[in-house]
Amino acid sequence: MKSFANVNPRNLKDAVAQLQKPNAVAVGGGSDLLGMVKEHLVEPDLLVHLRALRGLDQVSSKGGEVAIGGLITLDNLSHEPLIRDSYKVLAEAAGSVATPQIRNAGTLAGNVCQRPWCWYYRNSFPCFKNGGNRCFSITGENQFHAIFGGGPSFIVHPSDTAPALVALDAKFRVTGPAGDRTLAAADFFALPKVNASRENVLAPGEVLVSIHLPKAASGARSTYHKVLDREAWTHAVVSAAIVLDMDQQICRSARVVLGGVAPIPWRLPKVEAMLAGQRITPELAAKAGEAAVEGANPLAKNGYKIPLTKAVVSKTLLSLA
Amino acid sequence: MNTLNSVGHPSHRIDALLRVTGRADYTGDIHFPGMLYARVLRSPHPHARIRRIDLSRAQALPGVKAIITRENCDVIWGSGDTRNHRYLFNNPVRFAGDAVAAVAATDRHLAEEAMRLIQVDYETLPFVLDPEEALKPGAVEIQPGGNLSPNNRNERQPEVYKRGKIDEGFQAADRVFEDHYTSSHINNAQLEPRVAIAQWEGDHLTVYTPTQGISNCHTETARDLKIPPEKVRIVCHFMGGGFGNKNQNHDFELMAAVLAKQAGVPVKLEFTRKEDFVSVHGRWPTKQYYKIGVRNDGTLTAIQLRGYSGMGPYRKGAGGIGGIEIYQCPHVERSVSQVYTNMAVSANLRAPDYPQGVFGLESLMDDIAYSLKMDPLDFRLKNMTRKFNDQVPYTSIGLEECIRRGAEAMEWKKRFHAPGEGAGPIKRGVGMAMGSFFSNMGRSSAVIDVDSGGMYHVHVGVTDVGTAAKTTMALIAAEELGVPLEKINIIWGDTDRCPYSVGESGSRTTTHTGHAVVEAAKDLKRQIAEKGMPQGKDILTATANTNPAAAPNTARYSFVAHFAEVEVEADTGRVRVTKYVAAHDSGRVVNPLTATSQVKGGATMGIGMALHEELLYDRASGLPLNAGYYGARVMTHLDSPEIEVHWIETEDPYGPFGAKTLGEPTIIPSVAAVANAIYNAIGKRVRDLPITRDKILGVLA
Repeated sequence: MKSFANVNPRNLKDAVAQLQKPNAVAVGGGSDLLGMVKEHLVEPDLLVHLRALRGLDQVSSKGGEVAIGGLITLDNLSHEPLIRDSYKVLAEAAGSVATPQIRNAGTLAGNVCQRPWCWYYRNSFPCFKNGGNRCFSITGENQFHAIFGGGPSFIVHPSDTAPALVALDAKFRVTGPAGDRTLAAADFFALPKVNASRENVLAPGEVLVSIHLPKAASGARSTYHKVLDREAWTHAVVSAAIVLDMDQQICRSARVVLGGVAPIPWRLPKVEAMLAGQRITPELAAKAGEAAVEGANPLAKNGYKIPLTKAVVSKTLLSLA
Repeated sequence: MNTLNSVGHPSHRIDALLRVTGRADYTGDIHFPGMLYARVLRSPHPHARIRRIDLSRAQALPGVKAIITRENCDVIWGSGDTRNHRYLFNNPVRFAGDAVAAVAATDRHLAEEAMRLIQVDYETLPFVLDPEEALKPGAVEIQPGGNLSPNNRNERQPEVYKRGKIDEGFQAADRVFEDHYTSSHINNAQLEPRVAIAQWEGDHLTVYTPTQGISNCHTETARDLKIPPEKVRIVCHFMGGGFGNKNQNHDFELMAAVLAKQAGVPVKLEFTRKEDFVSVHGRWPTKQYYKIGVRNDGTLTAIQLRGYSGMGPYRKGAGGIGGIEIYQCPHVERSVSQVYTNMAVSANLRAPDYPQGVFGLESLMDDIAYSLKMDPLDFRLKNMTRKFNDQVPYTSIGLEECIRRGAEAMEWKKRFHAPGEGAGPIKRGVGMAMGSFFSNMGRSSAVIDVDSGGMYHVHVGVTDVGTAAKTTMALIAAEELGVPLEKINIIWGDTDRCPYSVGESGSRTTTHTGHAVVEAAKDLKRQIAEKGMPQGKDILTATANTNPAAAPNTARYSFVAHFAEVEVEADTGRVRVTKYVAAHDSGRVVNPLTATSQVKGGATMGIGMALHEELLYDRASGLPLNAGYYGARVMTHLDSPEIEVHWIETEDPYGPFGAKTLGEPTIIPSVAAVANAIYNAIGKRVRDLPITRDKILGVLA
């Protein structure tokens, strides 16, 4: 790997200042970044280690709202009682990431901001993500690529926690040289048609500091279902994050978000509308599965994701009924 | 079978404690003062001519001590290609990963930085990945003389085996079945990547390297570097696996030696995991066209295979497609074209010819049984081999017992059903397959000293690729000498201290070197009987250099039948192996503990090959896309089912205490057993490995 300097800032302000330096990158757990540096996918001159900051790895609750420091490890997040009790979808998503070793090091913010695992990108093909101007998956090996929202890049967003956070209607607090801003999880992620080289709206020098969850509904039930192509250590082939607010057997409202199928966490408003006010029966779940894949545009080798998505959506829904 | 004192008792590895406490020094752990670190620059193109290499910027980097390219290193890696000249650095480069230069510097990051400063001017050439495409007129010529690589007689012809008359066989058939199958390139994926340290003392070279055979590595390193063998020492005290891809000598050892010579200090050369996947051989991808004739009563009349093996651009290993010999059949014709392609080089991976060939063969045999309304188990009992190639009697054969015992343990009669039968989204099914493997006997040596304290020092040239060979040798020595295991001291893994051993490939160590240990022990016992135990500082020494063989006109084989039960989620395509039974005839089992581990390991590799492992190439660029443990979908603990192991210990008159081969047969039927179980579960056949979710959902759509 290329030589770089390393700093451990003492506070957020210092971190933001360090990140203004040329070719600086923020490091959380470093579990993915280190590999990318070794592969020369990123060649930073300065690593700004955010893990040295105190207090950004905690979960706190105030007035029913929950704040999660972006530097909490995925393993700690998955075992946090408050999250397991009221935001099960997030605990399950965090617990499904990669391997125990990676969950012990990797952070929530790092997972949300993770770069794609498209093999063309990771093998340094000159694609959009590597500063080039084409997507090699379109005519290539695209079995793991997007069936929704693709073009001009067809990557899928790699994060397990991102669909869960969109489903929970989380807010993301971001800080940078221009100060703080807070945005809805759904507004954080950006389609390639907005910017094909990135996956979110973070400006240069900005970091994701914390994530804020609204008070869980009284009838909240949620879960994350991830399909892998071996039993551990792959990104989602397809995943579903579903949050329901149930009144006995009736679904008051629903948020349904897919992972592994689009360049961003892929929300399904039509499915959500179908579920509102309804009893979740096998028939309704099957219909929801059908509706989930409306508008899908498969490439040559990823058409299997359509029946798979249908099955995942309906199964996951039924598991909450 | 009679009970013995040491052999046949489950024994922990004699070096287990060292290994699990981190005190075993693997090659990567060894360090010498002033040692340099080397990295290899590799071709980013599948096929290209190098016009010019500019080293000036790399050489100018402080700390860079030596750089070798084809310009200043014309060493031919003899075992890297036994049919053509394969230089350490080739021009043209013939696959993405072919070595272009190696750099030694004061630390490995500096070496890498220098490597990236080397400027190579490539003229890219057309390339071909598919072996059948490579044989078509107009395909780019990868090696002089064309893309059909020489067969085992060094002719530019397919490797052909025939018996009977295939046309008569098909005429005698009531029904003829035809289908074709493909298998992918699979990497050996052993834990320890390639690493060697080369150290020169004057004109004497020592290479520390994880090799599967110090003796072969020794003679071949001397040959390739054109130095006398007595000037070369190979040391391998501990190694982290190989499964066939650390046989013979290797380019990384030779490169380290040349760099160390140039720099005048020891050099360590270590591959990255990614390099280990793309630049070192794995299992060859195949295309298989089978045609099988059968009578209505299930009797086979003809088996024909036309196959293609994609060997990559150099020939290190065999390239066959094996398995047909597990069936008795009067008319057989097998033609396998071993073809040069611009993919990673293919050579040896655990039972090199077999699991892919048995996958195709046993898939079609299964289909035939079902078509004839026969239970696939009965079909195999009816048609299984009884004499090798229908002609030569086996020295011992427990195949029928393997099938029967395995079926019983699987509760076959209870679990078996018509293909695809059963409502509901979760489908269960069972499948089986069988195999055999040549149980070789041949030359090896052993030296045993006994001292006045009653310790027996056994010098054997084994390295322990993971089979617990050291422990096996100790058990055999203890048994023959009639002493407890604690009285045996094994000296291994160093050509200055150990005599010739065949090397841990071809599943030969127990039968070859084990036999030499038995003979040396017998000699030592005779000496002790004659002279008494040594006194004071005296020792007694016995040596053996044996080359045993089974009786003429006999065939010595190990046999195996594997049974898998799977659960397939019809709506998501997920496959889980829920029960797995392996029944093996390997003659007498020397160490049931490590032997069971071998079976579990081999079956696990086969399950991975069946379900998700492959090295995938981008067809447009000819570049590998998923090198490494993450991308190539190597098996994880969560993918590995409980594997139940049954031993059918036939009385074999040869080998140490009747032991036959074990390491490689363990993977032979596993891929096919899983594939057949999937078919039984869903009633649809996937004919291309690996049987991934997209293919299952595809056939179910």
